[in-house]
Amino acid sequence: MIRIVVGGQIDKERIADIIRKIGGDKITVQIKSDIEAAMAIKTNQADYYFGACNTGGGGALAMAIALLGMPLCATVSMPGNIRSDKEIIGEIEKGKKAFGFTPQHAEQVIPVIMNKILS
Amino acid sequence: MKYIIMALIGALASILANKGVAVFNDGLRPIIPEYLEGRMNKKALAATSFALGFGLVIGFGIPVSIAASIILIHSVLLGTDIIGTWCPEGKKGIVISGAIGALYGAGLVAGLKFIVDAFKLLPVNFLPQLGQVGTPIVAAFAVFPALVVGYQYGVKNGIITLIISFLVRQFVQYYGHFVIGTAKVALNPEGMALLTGMIIMIIYAVREKPDKDSQTVDLVSLFSDRVGRIKKNIPYLAVMGGLVAAATSMSIVAGDPISLNLLAKGKNVEAALTALARGIGFVPLVATTAIATGVYGPVGMTFVFVVGILIKSPIIAFIVGAITISLEVLLLSALAKFLDKFPGMKKCGDNIRTAMSKVLEIALLVGGMMAANAMAPGGLGLFVVIGLYVLNKTSKKPIVDMAVGPVGAIFVGILINVLYVLGLYLPGK
Repeated sequence: MIRIVVGGQIDKERIADIIRKIGGDKITVQIKSDIEAAMAIKTNQADYYFGACNTGGGGALAMAIALLGMPLCATVSMPGNIRSDKEIIGEIEKGKKAFGFTPQHAEQVIPVIMNKILS
Repeated sequence: MKYIIMALIGALASILANKGVAVFNDGLRPIIPEYLEGRMNKKALAATSFALGFGLVIGFGIPVSIAASIILIHSVLLGTDIIGTWCPEGKKGIVISGAIGALYGAGLVAGLKFIVDAFKLLPVNFLPQLGQVGTPIVAAFAVFPALVVGYQYGVKNGIITLIISFLVRQFVQYYGHFVIGTAKVALNPEGMALLTGMIIMIIYAVREKPDKDSQTVDLVSLFSDRVGRIKKNIPYLAVMGGLVAAATSMSIVAGDPISLNLLAKGKNVEAALTALARGIGFVPLVATTAIATGVYGPVGMTFVFVVGILIKSPIIAFIVGAITISLEVLLLSALAKFLDKFPGMKKCGDNIRTAMSKVLEIALLVGGMMAANAMAPGGLGLFVVIGLYVLNKTSKKPIVDMAVGPVGAIFVGILINVLYVLGLYLPGK
């Protein structure tokens, strides 16, 4: 069972729905405030963090970066720019646990991350 | 005067970004301490700031600014973030980033004027029609509090809020004229609807009690040295906030696309109310990211724009703006405690920002279509804007949804000129 928290700032319900649809019963998803979600990763109560905001790194990852440190966080999409599937998979292989993106790109990037961490 | 004040804003904002005191882009702020504390090099920081900011300047800030002829602050401050992080460190960095920043600020004013003048010289002048991009916003900005309530407490409560706002709007439209003594007072229907919606939204939000089981993190004590760092920089931030308030009072810049379009149409009270609502929406984000990173924003929680819109004298706006941003910083710790007590307000802030971008996205898209249709009647304009919108969705490097309307309208304007030269388009009589 992979435990996922949705932190970040905006469109949390929609992001959680997308994650649930892909993960089915192999995962649990919890929606939290960004601080609580980052703490859940730090205290090992959750495995992965997803968050969205309009820049892909501000509200989405600010608390995660502050509490977990940059080496565990990756911005996978930003306004006007989505990172390639290969780059995103590379970030997960490097051990990143927290992912930030813009809500506009949620449908594109979440499946890439989910398929990798489920495999 | 316009050039001087914009040059000053550009210079100071670039220096603040260079020193890591304040950056505008919320996405850049968490990365600054990584650099300051030596976990990230200058090159990676510069590359990140460019990647985060450039698309928004070109794809969002500039098109929205052209459509209304007021500069959207994003165009200025996302640019100075990039300038500041690209310039070298140390004393040399202060001089270089200041100089480039000043050129950039003044250059934006000149560039915007040049573009607008150049459009006027085209065989088919489409500037009057381009103003229509802002029309739906001016009519519909008051709906967003209902959307905030809808996000937070379900669609039913959202509808109740919308209906009450609507009733207030209609009532004020027909009965909102008073004579007090000799003065005639006419209340504005949209403004009052917005105010009503905001009050309902806040009532819902403060009723939410904190969850006793949830683990709370005392941010202020966890990051006390970072809070201290911001407080040390108050003098610089005060000047920055003052300058932005002064520029806003002179209608050179605006803080967000909604109040920008309202200002362009002379609706100052509504613009101030919208800017205030947006400020409330940014309090949780700016407060928590600032405390956790030790880096502030050059416009802080954006309340300096409210000051600028309401105070017509640039000098007084400067003073009040400087005081406002200083108070924000001094109250940071208190605000963080307040937000812990009222979790509904924190969520409300997040939802205000989601709701405003949703309302903007649809309003600017429809506005872009209206403008394009006015420029090129008979379907050509609509064909192009809708085509751009759906194709953008499939792009790997899409421009932000909000900007498709304005960009599309400008594109149609240029297109009809090209077609006119080729003899494929005749302007309507």
